[in-house]
Amino acid sequence: MRTTARIVVPIILVVAISLFLQGHSLPGGGFIGGVLTVAAFTLIYVAYSLDYLEVGVLDREVDYDRQIGEHRTVTAYRRLFKFGLAVTVGSGLAALLFDEPFLSQDYEYVHLPLFGEIELASAVVFDIGIFCVVVGGLLTIFSVVGAE
Amino acid sequence: MTSWIAIAPVLVAIVTGTVALLVRNWPRLQRAIAVSGTVVYAAVVGYLSWRVVFAADAGGILYQLGGLEAPFGIVLVADELSAFMLAITAIVAVYAVVFSVQFIDEQNQRVYYYPLFQFLLLGATGATLTGDLFNLFVWFEVMLMASYVFVAFYGNAQHTAAAVRYVVLNIVGSALMLLGIGGLYATTGTLNMADMAVQLSAPGAVTEPVVGLSALVFVTFSLKAGLAPFQFWVPSAYRAAPLPIVAVFAGATKKVGIYAIIRLYFTVFGDADVSATVPAVAGDTALAFLAPALLLMGLASILVGGFGAVSRDSLEELLAYSSIGQIGFIAVAVGIAAATTAGELRHLGIFAALIFALHHAVSKGLLFLSTGVIQDIAGTTKLSELGGLGDRSPVFASVFLVGGLSLVGIPPLAGFFGKLFVFDAATRQFAAATGDTTATAAAVLTLGVLFLGAVLTILYATRAWIETFWGSQSEAIRAGVVHDGQIAVLATLALVVLAIGVGFEPVYQFADAASDAALDTDGYIEIVGLGGETG
Repeated sequence: MRTTARIVVPIILVVAISLFLQGHSLPGGGFIGGVLTVAAFTLIYVAYSLDYLEVGVLDREVDYDRQIGEHRTVTAYRRLFKFGLAVTVGSGLAALLFDEPFLSQDYEYVHLPLFGEIELASAVVFDIGIFCVVVGGLLTIFSVVGAE
Repeated sequence: MTSWIAIAPVLVAIVTGTVALLVRNWPRLQRAIAVSGTVVYAAVVGYLSWRVVFAADAGGILYQLGGLEAPFGIVLVADELSAFMLAITAIVAVYAVVFSVQFIDEQNQRVYYYPLFQFLLLGATGATLTGDLFNLFVWFEVMLMASYVFVAFYGNAQHTAAAVRYVVLNIVGSALMLLGIGGLYATTGTLNMADMAVQLSAPGAVTEPVVGLSALVFVTFSLKAGLAPFQFWVPSAYRAAPLPIVAVFAGATKKVGIYAIIRLYFTVFGDADVSATVPAVAGDTALAFLAPALLLMGLASILVGGFGAVSRDSLEELLAYSSIGQIGFIAVAVGIAAATTAGELRHLGIFAALIFALHHAVSKGLLFLSTGVIQDIAGTTKLSELGGLGDRSPVFASVFLVGGLSLVGIPPLAGFFGKLFVFDAATRQFAAATGDTTATAAAVLTLGVLFLGAVLTILYATRAWIETFWGSQSEAIRAGVVHDGQIAVLATLALVVLAIGVGFEPVYQFADAASDAALDTDGYIEIVGLGGETG
């Protein structure tokens, strides 16, 4: 289980990021990228337990007496969810400021050294919001339900 | 006409919901934002209704999301029918949120109550405004997500059980709806409702599958509206959810189911020629197939709701069953409209359904919120433990009386007109059926059940009144504290119920325009801007 997780998790994350980045012009996007990321995290949870991220990766103390709802990672997920929602709504509203309809998107090509032409789309901001909502929401649910 | 005002109610609700979520650690601020956001929502809906119905250059308003044009982009369409449903939602929402501030205790208010409330509102708003079939499904889901949480809100075993039942049922319903929508997309090649209407009314269009597929969608809508035989989730869910939310459920979200039926069948499928033959049902439009189903379900709802309400022993359940019965009245009116081919009677049927929906939203909202007051005073809503409340608070007694009398249908309250037009439609159907024995029998049956439903309403309203307000004061009532603030809020709602009845003229005009819009398929296509070139 742990061996599988070790091999699979990086692959999942890379695929998730690529799906996320191509989302505005090809199939993919914030939602599916977020779901894949959650799959990676869930795999870690199943293989290593909930506190592995805290103890093993971030090297923090874990207070085992606290309720799952006040767990530090869960609080962080919740904050991520709120942040994501705010970004999503905000990016939709931003279009109104430019006198365009709600949810209008625009893009521009930027030339970066090394990378060449890069498409800089405002849809990415919206996608980041969705990504955060999905990751934050689902991981909160998984952690809390998993703890019971 | 394209204008930002069509999307404004959606934006207000989503922004209020998000901000309320972000300021969760400051309860007072959150409360203030939630209440003012809902008031702004009502104001925006008021302005929208004025622009759509009453202004000099009144007409439906289109909004293209992201600037993409129909039928490829997603559109919001605010016509008279949407505006009417939004107005109902806004009235109920404002009262529910103001009442929540006083009714739900501090600790519970902090558990995402207000953000969820706004998202419930958002779902109902989006569903009434959208001009896209798949988006209708999405908005339904938004609405349902919030309502799942509310049903499980208090978190006891009983509430969780109710929530699980509710979730399972609605997931099955949603799957059916998705299936139906997918099929409609495969048949017509479009999800835009106006475009679908164009495709279906085009000569030579394949319309036969629409009947079956729309039946799948119809089942889901009636599940949401709580029509018999899909009514069984209603009592337990209503008992579990917080009472101000129940007022919104009964007043707004159930009506969205009715709205969706009217919009889809009358506006979108209205012009389609369907030549499929179903045994025992004659007719050449999708409506002809809808009519008997809707009539039967409506009549069954009236009976189930009426007899259920008479036999319940707590006020909440009594009102929940009464809700089922009242939705039945609305469904019968819509069914009459679907059954007839005469334009005038069809118009009257829709009109009666809308008026009744408005009446039911405000009257039942008032009664559910009153139940909240009683719950606060006595700590219970069991009829056997109540009694003599009239002595404790005469003002509250008169507020409840207004709600009860409106439910029964006493002039000049809102309920009088609701019942009047439903019976009017039923008698006209009877009059129109001369010479045709089956039609006459159906009309007589309809009238009989409506009449029985009305009698049952009088019975249970009287029973609720007598057992709660008359008699000697029970232990619970004597010991309880009466909250004047709550009663003051409800008193203004009672005045609204009265005002709708007394100042009926603008309401009449509004509902008249709304039922015109519901039947005017070409007008709807025109608003979306698809008139002419594709047909």
